[in-house]
Amino acid sequence: MIQLFRVHKTFGKDVEALTDVSLDIRKGEFVFLTGSSGAGKTTLLRLIFRDLLPTSGQILVAGRNVVRLRERQVPALRRMVGVIFQDFKLLMDRTVAENLHVVARALGTPEAAARRKIGYLLRQVGLLHRANQTPYRISGGEQQRVAIARALMNDPLILMADEPTGNLDAELAADVLRLLREVNARGTTILLATHNATLVKEQAKRTVVLKGGRIVEDNGA
Amino acid sequence: MRLTRLWSVLGDALGNLRRGGWGGLAAVGAITVSSLILGILWLLAVNLQAILSDWKGQFEVVVFLRDDITADQRELLRRRLQAEAAVAAVHYTSKEEALALFKRDLRGQASLLEGLGENPLPASFQLRIREEHQTGPGMRAFVTSLERLEGVEEVLYGHEWVDQIGRLVSVLHAAGWVVGTILGAAAVFIVANTIRLAVYARADEIEILRLVGATRGYIRAPFILEGLLQGLLGAALALLLLFAGYRFLVWRLGLAPAGLLALGAGRFLEPLQVAGLLVAGAVLGGMGSLLSVRRFLKA
Repeated sequence: MIQLFRVHKTFGKDVEALTDVSLDIRKGEFVFLTGSSGAGKTTLLRLIFRDLLPTSGQILVAGRNVVRLRERQVPALRRMVGVIFQDFKLLMDRTVAENLHVVARALGTPEAAARRKIGYLLRQVGLLHRANQTPYRISGGEQQRVAIARALMNDPLILMADEPTGNLDAELAADVLRLLREVNARGTTILLATHNATLVKEQAKRTVVLKGGRIVEDNGA
Repeated sequence: MRLTRLWSVLGDALGNLRRGGWGGLAAVGAITVSSLILGILWLLAVNLQAILSDWKGQFEVVVFLRDDITADQRELLRRRLQAEAAVAAVHYTSKEEALALFKRDLRGQASLLEGLGENPLPASFQLRIREEHQTGPGMRAFVTSLERLEGVEEVLYGHEWVDQIGRLVSVLHAAGWVVGTILGAAAVFIVANTIRLAVYARADEIEILRLVGATRGYIRAPFILEGLLQGLLGAALALLLLFAGYRFLVWRLGLAPAGLLALGAGRFLEPLQVAGLLVAGAVLGGMGSLLSVRRFLKA
């Protein structure tokens, strides 16, 4: 599903963010990407949804060569990938439902189908009762779940999360993980970047460890 | 593009326009001012052009006759004039008719006529000139030849006026282009700036749209449309002001002395010209937003 071949990424002249990274993630896998801050986790994720281009190396996502993609082909790639950010990136002046609706409209989902989908996803993340509230009025854990629901609006083949539990206490973090496992159980490939070692140990999933921009450990390869 | 999509884009654009507040107002105002000034120049040119062709249609050379001309001499002169290639028609006005016309023109101001005594007005031939002969040098030669004929006191023709108005119209056209280009460019930049602010204000939403795979067109369309609407609104406002000003002027001139009434029959822009001005406004607005979106929206 996601394949990286000898990927290098350099910022500017001498900031080496990723060095010779090769990685193969199969369809339906649940993979943790760990390492301390600055190890290159976020850079790796951004390369996969083509927010960045690698300095060298090749990246294949769902059979597409991300590096060779033309500008106008990028939206099609991004529609296959859902991304959840540490800071959620919710629109604070819209309601929870509207935050999801923005995506439906951008993808041209017919109105009736969009409403059904929003209802379904909000029920899944347990936030149907918050549908008409703005993100200001709900807790951090709830905001995170809105972000997850939004990332699932386009039925992604791959769901990537960057520190999805970084701002949450242990209990809420467990909730979010349970949610992601459910999504994974329905076939979505999940790549989760975190520096929370406890979390990773508890889950006993494939874990890829980055250090200084290199993969130093991969228990599933 | 499906209709629902069109509505949603239009809704976005209108929403942005409303949220834009003073910035949007400035953009609309800039378009209004430039369209208004262009419209004024255009309207002047159109009306002068109309007067010009009006005058050309009835362009006359007046041949005033000496008071001591005999009936035979007059008849000879008439035939001579009718034979001229440049002359379309000859009309004779006797001394008495000239006085009657003069009195009619000065109706209500009879006191002016009191000291007149004996009729001082000369008899005259009015010559209608064929349009193809209404050129400056040709007319001057023609008039000089008429002045040498027997029984002719003086020859008057209005060609200097026609030439001058013709020149004025070309100056107005040129001024329209120069002023239009400068004001148009200024309006484009003001709109571009407004749209830039709109892009910044919606940076969060744009980022999310990019991440979920919205197409570039989908992200840009509302901003382009917002610029178009600003331009259209500005031009419409300018037309409204222009029309109001025009009606006011016509009304004022209607009250003015009879001599100015020649202008009172003025005309407003043709429907096609009105549409042209609206389209020009929309294009200016669209150009402004395109400029901004291309520069600041790297989607």
